[in-house]
Amino acid sequence: MAATKASKEQKYDRQLRLWGDHGQESLESAHVCLINATATGTEILKNLVLPGIGAFTIVDGHTVSGEDVGNNFFLSNNSIGKNRAQAATELLQELNSDVSGNFVEESPNKLLDNNPEFFNRFTIVIGVQLPESTCLRLDSVLWSASVPFLVCKSYGLIGYMRLVVQEHSVIESHPDNALEDLRLNQPFAELKNHIQSYDLDSMDKKDHSHTPWIIIVAKHLERWLSEHNLQPPKNYKEKEAFRQFIREGIRKKENGVPEDEENFEEAIKNVNTALNPTKIPSTVEDLFNSEECNDVTSQTPSFWVMLRAVKEFALNEGNGSLPVRGTIPDMIADSQKFINLQNVYREKAMQDAAAVSKHVECLLQSIGKYIANRRCRCLGKNSSFLRVVRCRSLAEEYSVDTVNKDEITSSMDNPDSEMVFYLMLRSVDRFYQQHSRYPGKAKVYTNVCAVPCKSTHPPKRFCRYGAAEPHTVAAFLGGSAAQEAIKIISHQFVPFNNTFIYNAMSQTSATLQL
Amino acid sequence: VALSKVFGSLRKELHDTLSTCKVLVVGAGGIGCELLKNLVLTGFKNIEVIDLDTIDVSNLNRQFLFQKKHVGKSKAQVAKESVLQFCPTVNITAYHDSIMNPDYNVEFFRNFMLVMNALDNRAARNHVNRMCLAADIPLIESGTAGYLGQVTVIKKGLTECYECQPKPTQKTFPGCTIRNTPSEPIHCIVWAKYLFNQLFGEEDADQEVSPDTADPEAAWNPEDTAARATASENDGDIKRVSTKDWARSTGYDAVKLFHKLFKDDIMYLLTMDKLWKTRKAPTPLVWQQLEDSASPQELSAGSGLKDQQVLGVWGLCQLFQHSVETLRSQLQEMGEGAELVWDKDDPPAMDFVTAAANLRMHIFSMNTKSRFDVKSMAGNIIPAIATTNAVIAGLIVLEGLKILSGELESCRTIFLNKCPNLRKKLLVPCILDPPIANCYVCASKPEVMVKLNVHKTTVLSLQDRILKERFGMVAPDVQIEDGKGTILISSEEGETETNNSKFLADFGIRNGSRLQVDDFLQDYTLLVNVLHTEELERDVEFEVVGEAPDKAPSPQTTPEEVNSVTNGNKDSAQPSTSSKAEDDDIMIVDSEEENEGASSSTAAATSGTKRKHSDAETGETSTKRPRTDQSSAAAAPTDDDDDDDIITLD
Repeated sequence: MAATKASKEQKYDRQLRLWGDHGQESLESAHVCLINATATGTEILKNLVLPGIGAFTIVDGHTVSGEDVGNNFFLSNNSIGKNRAQAATELLQELNSDVSGNFVEESPNKLLDNNPEFFNRFTIVIGVQLPESTCLRLDSVLWSASVPFLVCKSYGLIGYMRLVVQEHSVIESHPDNALEDLRLNQPFAELKNHIQSYDLDSMDKKDHSHTPWIIIVAKHLERWLSEHNLQPPKNYKEKEAFRQFIREGIRKKENGVPEDEENFEEAIKNVNTALNPTKIPSTVEDLFNSEECNDVTSQTPSFWVMLRAVKEFALNEGNGSLPVRGTIPDMIADSQKFINLQNVYREKAMQDAAAVSKHVECLLQSIGKYIANRRCRCLGKNSSFLRVVRCRSLAEEYSVDTVNKDEITSSMDNPDSEMVFYLMLRSVDRFYQQHSRYPGKAKVYTNVCAVPCKSTHPPKRFCRYGAAEPHTVAAFLGGSAAQEAIKIISHQFVPFNNTFIYNAMSQTSATLQL
Repeated sequence: VALSKVFGSLRKELHDTLSTCKVLVVGAGGIGCELLKNLVLTGFKNIEVIDLDTIDVSNLNRQFLFQKKHVGKSKAQVAKESVLQFCPTVNITAYHDSIMNPDYNVEFFRNFMLVMNALDNRAARNHVNRMCLAADIPLIESGTAGYLGQVTVIKKGLTECYECQPKPTQKTFPGCTIRNTPSEPIHCIVWAKYLFNQLFGEEDADQEVSPDTADPEAAWNPEDTAARATASENDGDIKRVSTKDWARSTGYDAVKLFHKLFKDDIMYLLTMDKLWKTRKAPTPLVWQQLEDSASPQELSAGSGLKDQQVLGVWGLCQLFQHSVETLRSQLQEMGEGAELVWDKDDPPAMDFVTAAANLRMHIFSMNTKSRFDVKSMAGNIIPAIATTNAVIAGLIVLEGLKILSGELESCRTIFLNKCPNLRKKLLVPCILDPPIANCYVCASKPEVMVKLNVHKTTVLSLQDRILKERFGMVAPDVQIEDGKGTILISSEEGETETNNSKFLADFGIRNGSRLQVDDFLQDYTLLVNVLHTEELERDVEFEVVGEAPDKAPSPQTTPEEVNSVTNGNKDSAQPSTSSKAEDDDIMIVDSEEENEGASSSTAAATSGTKRKHSDAETGETSTKRPRTDQSSAAAAPTDDDDDDDIITLD
């Protein structure tokens, strides 16, 4: 077992650096359903099998045609005539022996007729090149089962993705510019004591220049507050004055020239970060105020139970603040001082996480559920970055009463908007619905809209695609869709909401909320 | 629009082109595998692929043409075989070789209608850029890093070349910092990698690990420095020869090695007391003391340690001992004269570097790092996933189709973002910029100005550090424009080696001297203007005028990781440092002032007759940064220009 773990660590090394052990664990326990093993479908699945999802199931009632073999890397000449799900499963399975591959030789419609619960078992369902009617049926089944549904389509040089998920919680959103959580404006007791243990004036020179900047700022802030009616520096001018105040703390040589103390320079540079007031971000505040957070029942998903516990923490032990994150940035300091300081934050974070766990336990007692302690810790650490994504259902998007007219009309003001392609995709779907085939060269839906274009109308060209799936577009969409699926499965990074259009002619893309 | 024409009325023509034209794919790794698949399924019939590398386990999470059974085999060869299994009708030629090998000359490049780079290092990218310019073949350049990716098109005379925009200099660390005064974990990691080579691998004089007595900062006066330098050269030579031999003579006794490296050498460093006036002095370690004071848990810690764990000092000692023993027996099994090659994916080698680097970090009062983190830094690891590569390879082929259908003007530089930017764009296409007039690679008469000390720069370091490393040449010939045409360096073996250890001044090179440098393989000539100076910073060998000095970053400066895209820099010896990013430190800005200064000194040096560019031109180009992709974005009607989301191609 240890050997398997080590070899996996090696095989997945480069991706563990993006989503960590726990992200990998989520992947490995995921079961992904792919409907239709077209070029786009197998490209998506390839990109999920390689990083090591637990299992996949392909649902496909088609038999492999010569055309399939022409643009699909995972179907070969000798698979012609076989069921497409089976043929693709065999070749995709070869990519990674840690993944369990399954297939169902049936059309999704048939499955929906006979056994609609079939789809409830999956972590995510990815439907490729599906007609409108099937999409809507799946939409309703998966929506009520709270299974995320990713709709993908390559149509000529256009790629389309639509994410349907009632509610998706993101614990680790990995924001690009996260602020540090240092609590210098309201230090907790342990931090206060730790700061007290330093006496900058009586230190020898070496210790003075190896004191972490956090301590330097804290010490100077203390004095500043006592001299300024307990008001911290707020505006630029005051912060500038505060920087000068720190600068004066730099030791001087005998001749009056300041010593070269890099830790002080670091402190001055970090004044803004350090003075950032500790508060609950509005995104998290909104979550605290939502109904799901406040009415915890036995039906409540564990994310909301944990969130409620965090709220309880903030209202009680936290005195209005979230649990301490427990990490500090790298800084100039000697090891011992740095580690001591780090431990102050780390221990406080563990204490806070334990307090949150207590609240979770209390909440769970009434509803008889279990949540792993590890998840509470992860949530505690990331409590400022929690996000919830809510998409509209396809039913809402398609219904005349709830269609998002505003988004569509406002986009249409821009002639280059990718919205045009969305409308055309909807039209060809409708065409298919009526004629059971996609429009060819002859039939043109010129009534969709007119777009400035050099030679011919785009709709005409659009029809010329005849629902073809060029491999490069499939490859592009394969990468993009798999990436979104990984976000959903790992609950890390924020997925798009809710429609993505890719235009391979101009290499442009857009995200629309429909 | 262009491409719809491609797939529409021109479809037949294009299809014919695809089935007859020959294309070259440079690299069969993450992007390369995806690219080969996309090419054959788009209808390309004649493909050549070259890659120097062999397959590693850590490739398998994304390089889908390879399986476990292929580990250790040639990437190019296996990629070819795997593709042929699926598409038996295409012609693929595979080369298990370096693209920088002289066999792949300009003639070779002229065989292709299109060259696509799927590389992971800058040296090879520079080289292919030059070869394609020389052969006048269109090149598609690409790169990925984690979720970020980029594709661009390069065509001689029409677009910027790969080297038009100065790239952030890759970090090198001065010898004294590595040997005497490490201040960041990366310095200790580089030291540990050098140590590995000194003990088990190929010894390299530039990778010395013992205290550097010639450190100018350690001396009280210049004469003293000179004296120490001479002393150390003699002394150093003896030591250098003996490091490995000495280790062998002790039977690679881990405790003895430990005491030399972590006690005796450190005590020696402490005698160079001037170094510790402003720094915290290192603390020597004594094996027995550490063993005695180790906590019971530490004592029981075995070798099967988890990657992300940060070990205590005694744990590190044990890891050191254990890895030295493993490496010793590996070396013994290989027989007399064998050498090990450091590989980040080889567990004992990685254990050794983790232990040695962390022990040194501890000695120099730094916070120790987990094996996982050390590996990131030591191996220059850039995260890589299947999805990004798939997206980028898809984009490459679409750009290729535009080139092959003569629609070069509709080609774009495309940036792939981690998530849709503020304007909801995942992809940011930018119009291609025209060539930079004074680019030192693609200009009609390339010229640079290099600031150095002619009394301290040897011919060898001109060749290796400046011409090869900095200016990316493979086999330079150098002629002094002194009216006599003195040959300083010849690429023919045995002709000028005797010059190597001499200083430039010995050949009459002084301020204002001009050197004509030719690389016949790259069909590239560069005129180097020498600007003599005595005032380079400690450990800086030279500066290219108009660029920031070529030296290691201070602790606060940050690597370009976040904003530039590479797919590994494994064959560059310069690892990246910390992981936090501060915007203002990312780019090296060449100031207008410096450039003007350069022009006027050029003028002065060449009696005012040879100024190549007007000030206006110089001024404009010098303020241009890789980030000016935005200005082109603004020019392109369909683009958006979200600042934070532009990444520069490396």
